[in-house]
Amino acid sequence: MQLIWEGFVEALRLLLGGDEALYEIALRSLWVSGLALAIAVVLGIPLGGLIALTSFWGRRLTVTVVNTGMAAPPVVVGLLVALFLTRSGPLGEFRLLYSNWAMVIAQVIIALPIMTGLSLAALQQLDVGLRQQIAALGANRLQAFFCQLREIRVALLAAVMAAFGAVISEVGAVMMVGGNIKGQTQVLTGAIVQETRMGRFANAIALAIILVSLAFTANLVLTAIQQQGRRV
Amino acid sequence: MSDGLRAGDPVLTARSLSVRRGGRTLVAVDDLALYGGEVHVLLGPNGAGKSTLLHALNGLEQADGELVFTGRPVRSRRGRLALRRATAAVFQHPHLLNTTVQANVESGLRLRGVDRAEARRRAGEALGLLGVAHLADRRPVKLSGGEAQRVSIARALAVGPAVLFLDEPLASLDPPTRRALVDDLLRIFERSAMAVIWVTHDRDEALAVGDVITYLEEGGVVQTGPALEVFARPATASFAEFLGLETFLTGRVVNGADGATRLLLEGGGELFCADALDGPAVVAVAPEDVVLFTTRPDEHATSLRNVLEGTVKAVGPSGRLLRVDVEAGGHALGALITRAAFEDLGLAVDSPVVAAFKASAVHPLSRQERRVAEAGWSERGGVSWR
Repeated sequence: MQLIWEGFVEALRLLLGGDEALYEIALRSLWVSGLALAIAVVLGIPLGGLIALTSFWGRRLTVTVVNTGMAAPPVVVGLLVALFLTRSGPLGEFRLLYSNWAMVIAQVIIALPIMTGLSLAALQQLDVGLRQQIAALGANRLQAFFCQLREIRVALLAAVMAAFGAVISEVGAVMMVGGNIKGQTQVLTGAIVQETRMGRFANAIALAIILVSLAFTANLVLTAIQQQGRRV
Repeated sequence: MSDGLRAGDPVLTARSLSVRRGGRTLVAVDDLALYGGEVHVLLGPNGAGKSTLLHALNGLEQADGELVFTGRPVRSRRGRLALRRATAAVFQHPHLLNTTVQANVESGLRLRGVDRAEARRRAGEALGLLGVAHLADRRPVKLSGGEAQRVSIARALAVGPAVLFLDEPLASLDPPTRRALVDDLLRIFERSAMAVIWVTHDRDEALAVGDVITYLEEGGVVQTGPALEVFARPATASFAEFLGLETFLTGRVVNGADGATRLLLEGGGELFCADALDGPAVVAVAPEDVVLFTTRPDEHATSLRNVLEGTVKAVGPSGRLLRVDVEAGGHALGALITRAAFEDLGLAVDSPVVAAFKASAVHPLSRQERRVAEAGWSERGGVSWR
């Protein structure tokens, strides 16, 4: 108990003292996960719309693949990305392994199925009559799509929160493709693992406090947007 | 859009229009025309294809055949979009977007590229027209069913449509709300040159709002014509039945030298009936047009020219009224009377009764008449049939 208490005190001292290394790790985490999330949102929502609103051969299989992707273990994603980015891999020539870009790619692969799957589920739930009404209002296909997104915005924000939660908290993929290199590719989760392993509990607790605070702040903002003008 | 329209102008015409799905023809129409300033009702039972036809007419549903909007054929996806942008539709459920009433009514205009200030002004006008301007800042969940439907109609009118498509717009509303909305809509339609196409399965609603009625059954048009004429001369027994004309009698029409039209009934007896050509005929009588007495009424004191003596065969409830089945001279007649009248008359099953009705209550069925007549029955009064 003494150990935990001392850890907390030391963590607070580090946080309030503006420990540069600590904040650098936090910023890198935000940058990697934020960029991955943005890419997943930009790709995932239209992809979800395409699957939800069109008919094509193999549609059901596609939905199954997307839903499976939502539950993909980060270490498996990490392995897959590492296999592609390793020197002898198909994308080895780009020398991305153990870089921040590799972590972004891995996290996009983790977040994309979540954004796609939850978007398509929300769009499919939308009343067919409302879809018809939007078309009757004079909307072209693109306008109709954006009108529908507006109608499912609460569900979309939930999807964003879920995807953000998945990427900011995962450790397997970033460690495998980023290498957890201090000062270069180390993010919060990887740093917590390393500091704990080395017995530097105060540092680990400080990093954990930052990680939880980041997740809480991001969800606070998203929830505030989501609950604006709620129906009931 | 409706600004350039004049009442009486053809706005939308359909020729050989059909919608097929899964190898099945859902609706097929030879000829249908909507005119500016006219309320055209698509009437028919559930599953008749009314809504499918409406969707085909406003470009929501892809259809085979020819659709011409203000002189321009509608063929491509782009053509259907242009048609939808020149028209507006209101469905049974208001389907309001999850935003304020004001933004809802502006939405059609904004989708057409109208700037915010102009959209705001026109939305305000439309809300005022429907008497819901005070709800502008509310969200749809805070509206009653009637208010939501008014907002939905305001949203449609705000775009100034050349054609207003209404798909069972009153079906989810309670009777007082329906009446108030019908009054307001008729007032709006009177001052507008837009064409209105109104889908309903309610015959009273059809008669209350329709200038022209097209009756559909199983995806096809059974009859089209001016509302009153269609109601007075239903083409088929099934349409007559749909209109509540339950008693059907067959015979031969004879126009006498005295100017009266009589139906010589099969099996004996005769009836005075509405205008018809000489020849074999089927007539229908609405149960609400039949009056019951215990003794023969004074022929000179009433306009009930048809008087039949018979017996009560059955009595049963029919809404707030009672339905009395009467057998008179070998013919079965239905009558609807109040419970109070039934008690006053002291009627019971097997008791003698006198059934009487006006000549104008005997409706010759145009198509059956035409079918049974050896000579052709000329089209008249704008009434046509499939």
